[in-house]
Amino acid sequence: MSGEAPPKDSAGAAVKRLEHEGDAAADFLEELLDIADLDGDIDLDIEGDRASVSIVGAELSVLVGANGEVLEALQELTRIAVLRETGERSRLMLDVAGYRADRRAALTERAQQTAARVLSSGEAESLEPMTPFERKVVHDAVAAAGLRSESEGEEPQRRVVIQPSG
Amino acid sequence: MVAEALEHLVRAIVDNPDEVSVRAKELRRGRIFEVRVHPDDLGKVIGRSGRTATAIRTVVTALAGKGGARVDFVDVDRRR
Repeated sequence: MSGEAPPKDSAGAAVKRLEHEGDAAADFLEELLDIADLDGDIDLDIEGDRASVSIVGAELSVLVGANGEVLEALQELTRIAVLRETGERSRLMLDVAGYRADRRAALTERAQQTAARVLSSGEAESLEPMTPFERKVVHDAVAAAGLRSESEGEEPQRRVVIQPSG
Repeated sequence: MVAEALEHLVRAIVDNPDEVSVRAKELRRGRIFEVRVHPDDLGKVIGRSGRTATAIRTVVTALAGKGGARVDFVDVDRRR
């Protein structure tokens, strides 16, 4: 790696950095798909301030695993591989076969329903244990509904509690 | 295939990829993959609280399919 200073974030530099992250992630994942003889295409995007990397294909459930645990592990390894390649810590989001996208939609709906119930009952409700990604989705949906939520407990039993007062 | 995938995963996260070796052993109880890395990289493949090693095992076990696979990270220094 060259010794250039971390880009002062003009928007353009930030985008360039995230594109570079995505490219490094794609190289790492493409070789893995190749070795494992899995058919998948890699889509790169930028969502907010993160690189978004999706492996798209019909038969990729092996890379998702029960409750997305293989996906989480692969995301973790991809971030480390990107760090080694670019020298910068990455917060990239990995998705496989639309798993996260589907999960996000389902969780957002649950969070909205639960928030509505908490609003009318005035009593806090806690949801089942979730991964950090899932809790973030719920927190965002609860905040959008004008309520407050927090996480309680230790991983992997950590769960979101939705509070009645805004 | 699994050994090659494991080697790829490990090579991608260490500083000395050329010193990564993976040896597969078939035991009656199943397959074991022994991973050796440069001593300076051992901490890297294990990660904080074993987090990286766990992630590697999760992906490798999934790829191995039925019967699973065990992954051992061999501490080269200590073995000598």
